[in-house]
Amino acid sequence: MRTLAEAALIVAAGALLGLAGNVASPRPAALARPVHSAAESGTGMCAVAGAAPAARAPRIAVEEAKGLCDACKAGFADARGASEFAAGHVTNAVHLPPAGHPDEAVAVAALRAFPLVIVYDGDYTCALADEVAHRLKREGLPDVRVLEGAWPAWVAAGGAGASGFCPACHDPAEAHR
Amino acid sequence: MNLLLALFRIGLGGTFLYAAGTKLPDMAAFAETLANYRLVPPSLVPVAAAAVIGVELALGLLLVTGRLARGAALVATGLLAVFTLGLSQALLRGIDLRCGCFGGNESATWLTVLRDAGMLAVALALLLRGPGRLLPRRSAAASEPDRAPSAATEG
Repeated sequence: MRTLAEAALIVAAGALLGLAGNVASPRPAALARPVHSAAESGTGMCAVAGAAPAARAPRIAVEEAKGLCDACKAGFADARGASEFAAGHVTNAVHLPPAGHPDEAVAVAALRAFPLVIVYDGDYTCALADEVAHRLKREGLPDVRVLEGAWPAWVAAGGAGASGFCPACHDPAEAHR
Repeated sequence: MNLLLALFRIGLGGTFLYAAGTKLPDMAAFAETLANYRLVPPSLVPVAAAAVIGVELALGLLLVTGRLARGAALVATGLLAVFTLGLSQALLRGIDLRCGCFGGNESATWLTVLRDAGMLAVALALLLRGPGRLLPRRSAAASEPDRAPSAATEG
């Protein structure tokens, strides 16, 4: 009985300690904001192992994409999480909120202005960009391609980049979604 | 045996302290990792993440110092059982996720499960056999007349 009482005390004190630590943390968890799994939100996680892989979307080489970017002839969709987007992204890229997010329609509308949309993610082997490309195709965008080599290849090739949160997630706490 | 238990206790406590220390600078990232296990409702994930880190910190301090060691061993047993089961169910369901054990991007694998199971065994041993002691008890002959039988030194 005494051990149980000690355990209850430790859990309660530990939880309070954790909440206090969260306040002091440089990157606290936003307590009032639900955090969905990456699979539910459609961002930030590569794949569910064993699940059917998303069909491979058409690719575009980095050099070709750079030319289209410089000429503003293609829209770029960033499929990564908000914090990765904030750390660095293709200049003028649109950060796609999770499916069903209130700002989703605005983001898709911004991409609809371009005849070609290029989707990229953070990992060359990640199927996330393929999934997002198919999602955009279902939204009716005519030509959606995935950037070969993803963000690392873009950076390595000296592609135009910027940093900062997207307008829809200017609140850094949104990065945790 | 007492010395071994004490070393186990300090080792386990140190591991909890290290685990909490690696997560404290980026609690948001741990919340994201926790969400990917899909064990907690999304609205409770941030609070649960903060609580887990705090409990790890408390367990670390208590196990290293030997204070409330039985209670700490009980909580550690429960926490490690949840970790082990959570990891196992995710791996069995084919979910590819980060472990979240010590911050960073360590992937969850069956080796991670094995490590957690080992720590769980240590926590169970501490719960069942007591926290041990680093230094031998003063000789019974010298201390027995002054000590009541119930004067336990644990905790």
